[in-house]
Amino acid sequence: MTDSAGRQPTYADVNRDVIRTLEPPSPAYFGWMAVVALILTAGILAWTWQIYAGMGAAGKRTPQMWAMYITTFVFWIGIGHAGTLISAILYLFRARWRTSIYRGAEAMTVFAVLTAGLFPLIHAGRMWFAYWLLPYPNQRYLWPNFRSPLVWDVFAISTYLTISVVFFCVGLLPDIAAIRDASTGWRKKIYGMLSLGWEGTDRQWRHYRRAYGLFAALATPLVLSVHSVVSWDFAMALVPGWHSTLFAPFFVDGAIFSGFAMVLVLIIPMRHFWNLYAYITDKHLDAMGKLILVTSLVLSYFYLCEAFTAWYSGDHFERASLFWKATKSYAWAFWLQYFCNSLVPLVLFWRRARTHTPTLYVVSILVLIGMWFERFNIIVPGLGHDFYPYTWGIYWPTLTDTMIVIGSFAWFFILFLGFIKVMPSVSIVEVKETLPHPVKEAHH
Amino acid sequence: MKRRDFLKIVGSSAGAVAAAGCGQAPERILPYVIPPDNLIPGVASWYSSVCRECPAGCGVIARNREGRVVKLEGNPDHPVNQGALCIRGQAALQGLYNPDRLRGPMRQDASGALKPVKWEEAEKLLVERLTGLVKQGKGKRIVVMSQLESGNLGRLIESWAQALGARRPIFYEPFNYEAIHHASRLVFGRDAIPHYALEEANVILSFGADFLESWLSPVEHARAFTRMHAFKHGKAGTFIHVEPRLSLTAANADEWVRNAPGTEELLALAILKVILNEGLQAPGVDVALLRNVAMPVDLEAAAGQSGVSVETIKHIARTFAKAKPGIAVGGGVAVTSTVAVETQRAIHLLNYAAGNVGRTVRFGPDSAFVKATPHAIVGLLTQLMAQGEIDVLLLIHANPLFALPPKWGFAEALKKVPLLVSFSNQPDETTEQAHLILPDLHSLESWGDFSPREGVVGLMQPTMAPVFDSRAVGDVLLSVGRQVLGSPAGKGPFRWETFAEYLKEQWRGIAREYASSMLFDQFWEEALRRGGVWKDVATAPVQARSAPVFPIQGKPASVEGDPQGLTLLVYPSQRFYDGRGANKPWLQEAPDTMTQVTWDSWIEVPAEVAKKLGIRQGDLVKVTSPHGAIELPAYVSESLHPGAVAIPIGQGHTAYGRYAKDRGANPLTLLPGGAGLSFLSVKVTLTKTGGRRPLAIAQATHDQDDREIAQHVGLGAARELELRGAVPEKASHPSMYPDLKYPEYRWGMAVDLDACTGCQACVIACKAENNVPVVGKEQVAYGRDMHWLRLERWQEGKPEHPENLFLPMFCQHCEIAPCEPVCPVFAAYHTEEGLNAQIYNRCVGTRYCNNNCPYKVRRFNWWDYSSPASSSYAFPDPLPLQLNPDVTVRQLGVMEKCTMCVQRIVAGKDAARDEKRPVRDGEVQTACQQTCPTQAIAFGNLKDPSSRVAKLSRSPRGYHVLGELGTRPAVTYLKKVTREHGKA
Repeated sequence: MTDSAGRQPTYADVNRDVIRTLEPPSPAYFGWMAVVALILTAGILAWTWQIYAGMGAAGKRTPQMWAMYITTFVFWIGIGHAGTLISAILYLFRARWRTSIYRGAEAMTVFAVLTAGLFPLIHAGRMWFAYWLLPYPNQRYLWPNFRSPLVWDVFAISTYLTISVVFFCVGLLPDIAAIRDASTGWRKKIYGMLSLGWEGTDRQWRHYRRAYGLFAALATPLVLSVHSVVSWDFAMALVPGWHSTLFAPFFVDGAIFSGFAMVLVLIIPMRHFWNLYAYITDKHLDAMGKLILVTSLVLSYFYLCEAFTAWYSGDHFERASLFWKATKSYAWAFWLQYFCNSLVPLVLFWRRARTHTPTLYVVSILVLIGMWFERFNIIVPGLGHDFYPYTWGIYWPTLTDTMIVIGSFAWFFILFLGFIKVMPSVSIVEVKETLPHPVKEAHH
Repeated sequence: MKRRDFLKIVGSSAGAVAAAGCGQAPERILPYVIPPDNLIPGVASWYSSVCRECPAGCGVIARNREGRVVKLEGNPDHPVNQGALCIRGQAALQGLYNPDRLRGPMRQDASGALKPVKWEEAEKLLVERLTGLVKQGKGKRIVVMSQLESGNLGRLIESWAQALGARRPIFYEPFNYEAIHHASRLVFGRDAIPHYALEEANVILSFGADFLESWLSPVEHARAFTRMHAFKHGKAGTFIHVEPRLSLTAANADEWVRNAPGTEELLALAILKVILNEGLQAPGVDVALLRNVAMPVDLEAAAGQSGVSVETIKHIARTFAKAKPGIAVGGGVAVTSTVAVETQRAIHLLNYAAGNVGRTVRFGPDSAFVKATPHAIVGLLTQLMAQGEIDVLLLIHANPLFALPPKWGFAEALKKVPLLVSFSNQPDETTEQAHLILPDLHSLESWGDFSPREGVVGLMQPTMAPVFDSRAVGDVLLSVGRQVLGSPAGKGPFRWETFAEYLKEQWRGIAREYASSMLFDQFWEEALRRGGVWKDVATAPVQARSAPVFPIQGKPASVEGDPQGLTLLVYPSQRFYDGRGANKPWLQEAPDTMTQVTWDSWIEVPAEVAKKLGIRQGDLVKVTSPHGAIELPAYVSESLHPGAVAIPIGQGHTAYGRYAKDRGANPLTLLPGGAGLSFLSVKVTLTKTGGRRPLAIAQATHDQDDREIAQHVGLGAARELELRGAVPEKASHPSMYPDLKYPEYRWGMAVDLDACTGCQACVIACKAENNVPVVGKEQVAYGRDMHWLRLERWQEGKPEHPENLFLPMFCQHCEIAPCEPVCPVFAAYHTEEGLNAQIYNRCVGTRYCNNNCPYKVRRFNWWDYSSPASSSYAFPDPLPLQLNPDVTVRQLGVMEKCTMCVQRIVAGKDAARDEKRPVRDGEVQTACQQTCPTQAIAFGNLKDPSSRVAKLSRSPRGYHVLGELGTRPAVTYLKKVTREHGKA
């Protein structure tokens, strides 16, 4: 880990540089916050209108009973995968390069899941009764249907959210204590409370390490399970193009793929604006680029499998569905997905592209667009050309559902922007671990 | 409390409910005319009456719950419709409860605006004017124009006019089939429309007669058609239809022959010539007469002009003549061209030559349509009005301003009439011009009778208290007549206090005719219960009059206008009839079966023409005839004759309430004026306006994409299947779960596609029974219609001459239902009677069930259709009075779908349990099944092997839609049987 001058930062540098990110924000920051808050307000208003007027306000219809909300839901769940992958799996594999980016990635995970979690509510026709999906003893003697993948979703997502939040908070503890020590006044009190009495004693460190390892081990299977369960929303259904055993690994891979892209979208500006070049180096970007490339290649393989099985199955409905997606009303979305997810990431074969920030940034944005459209293509055109020709139709988004979807991005960014100003977005502790210990003067 | 008092209270409280909708106190009358033995809230009473949506005179029974009618069903005893109703009959309730129905009497004030007045005042006004005229001996300046009233109201109108010295009343029907009785007079010397017994024919040869849609008596004809045509015991009749347009009736034909417009007479004569040439005529016919008529026709020329090959003409002639008996009928555009009478004459002669007269074509039980006034007389009246000869015009449910072409000048003539009185209870075009409106009761609120044909008299009784402050037209006529003549009550020509009294007295005569031995009171009660009286009428022998009574034309109908133009076909609408159905939202939202268009009208443009002019579906097209121009969105048709365009009648109202007003355009404005009314008389030119108005089409495509949703089997193969009697191997799908057990019942359905004619009656019956909301054009266009039952039309083969398959699709109540496991809250679940139930209250609205439903039959409440505060509210007052109290009105955000009328199942089981027995087969009928004119739908317990539904489900023709998915539906479809012989 070196800065632009090639000098390794010291422990003191780390403390200083990270805590510097928490300094009172600039007017530019407030400007961005205001923009994001405005968009969020529009989204909230749109949702309010939808609750008042009915789901008709969103552009759904027969046969597209699901559309942009579930697309965006799956998209955000996917985004929520990279964080845990980086913080838990890479931790267990002792991939040391993760240290400077995992905090940002983990925060992204928590916020992405919080965003995704809104969509089942937004999507429900009677969202005020959505709590009926929870199993709790009630006077109505009602119990959720455990055969429904939607109930599995409830468990998968709430579990994932719980574990990610706890894991996130545990990782934050020593850093909060470091901020506490560096801050004064009421801030010190708040950070003091949040640090839960962290003193940095050996005993605390020992417990901390053990707990962190355990949580990492606990979170690891969730990375694979959550998106598998989400994919079963589709795979368990009968719809042509959905009913496939391919879906779980296909979705998990896509999730990691898009998650990494989102991490890059977030940390590249962070590094730039806070001058964190010493911590987030080209090496990190290179490693992320490689992961994106690998997951993209795997995804392309799944795409081929999907097309192949549709053709090879000889199933009329599957074939018709695929053919329709690729050639008719939604063909643009279909080919956009292939372009963004299979073609564009191929530039990452070149090392220069992997370390060239603007290229990497553009690739990441395109990957995010491509992955959103991948889910869109599964849901909207998939439903639009299902078994029954009488009801086939084209879905048109309305202002309401568009605003809600855009609002969800604002919701995510408002959380993230808030976070980076109150919590260290680079892990002080773990970065220090990767640096050489400060050599103490020898006692004679 | 006495029983009668109790009934009075219930009756008047029902009236109070109705009054809440309008804020005016209705006249208090007792709706329970036959006092029921006991009235239990929650238990329905049924009252029989007659459907007056068209002059076919079908018997109805009205289901009255707590003082309001909630559903109409066909009267099973009635000889005309035998329990069935058509789409318009089912929707009659929305005339009764129409939100735009006139609330009470009105008069035009000095500024020309209509203002409510009191009944007494309104009557006084009329009495004063009439008295003045009668006193001066100017009675001839009074004329009554009524819809066809073939019963005692008609008689009262006639005697009223006579007593006042008024002109003979006009019974005005836009579709009066006068060509048929004129032709009968010319050919057989009998001025009558015979009874066409389609069921007894082996071959039907129709020249444009849309007998499954509007012609004469569509319900009766549909039932009869199925009897002769549907595959049964290896036999099936043949139906050949000649028409330039692929109408719904044409689509049901085994052989649709597309002729050039207006060449029906020519074809009929050519067929007659072939019959004579080949000696196929029946023994004993006057060959000389027939030769005289047919021989001048040149077969080659006829083929050339009609576009029907000589081969086809010969083949039709042979098939028809060898049928023994067959039947030839003519209708639709063919009876309203300039050669309409000649065409009907040729058709009569065809029937005569083939020996059908007296067998399938029966004079004797003649149709009441003959009483409708010919258009020539209506034209005469128009002239009189224009000359200022008429001072008072009384309109009783006639709307000539809509139904007559403007070129008739009726509107201008009307301006010369100082007092126009309308008895209509709907704000239609003519009523809007009225100086005085005295709204009549709806037919379901009235006493009356109607005789659709000799030997059948349907009796009408009030099925509920009046919804609004209306009075029976008969009562008003009696009261006004008394006041004008100054005759006291109880004496003179208008001695009856009410029309009901008059009716009852007149029925003493009917009692003598129909049941001479019975006491009158007993007879009367029996007639009320049964819905009328009927008897067999002997077929009257007729002889063809010998030549040369009439000259032979043998040329196509003449059309005026640009010779390069396209012949305009203006045809009766199955949904709106002559336009009177257009104010009923159910009918607006029910798709036209062939095009699946809702809420709008359209011009059918042949694909060739559309291509040439660059017209796409939904493009606005200006249609110009020598007499007018209208703009309509185009519907591009592959099958329409390339020399024609077609527009249905019924839309284009400029008044007539919120649902009808300013919707589409009225094609009658393109027609000429003159003495007769010809729907086929002009050529039009089309110009693209550049504008667009996309049509709200419910069906995305008519191509099944090889999915075998609607299946068919050849007649030979069907016979073979029947002989083998083999139950087809149902594809077995292995399941990890044990089979479901149904302890007592498993409800199921069977739909015979060979019987289904695509009439849509089931769609509206379902809507009425199950409180299904109407959603409007935009929502239908966007795939959000709420129909629990939809009628699909699938086509195969050449697009210009397709094989049409009709399939009613509704929840299939799958045994392994894809919707059930995916619902997270058990809102969709399986009952132990095999129903795929939906609990509205439990539904959260994830809509997963509909994603997973391969049939896409679930319906989601996208908007708030049920709360009055919502802008999407589907039931403006007083429509809520129609809502079935046994069925929940669903709220925003829940999924709904066909329940197999679970409320009827529950009622049936309750009744059975009271008698400690299981439900009998046929005891529970679903609404769709009940109204089906062709009995294509069977419902019952699949566990009972002797039930009708179980037997049909085992039919060798049976299959499950998308059965390969392993859903095991409870609905079995029976393949349509197609005829092998080549298409014309």
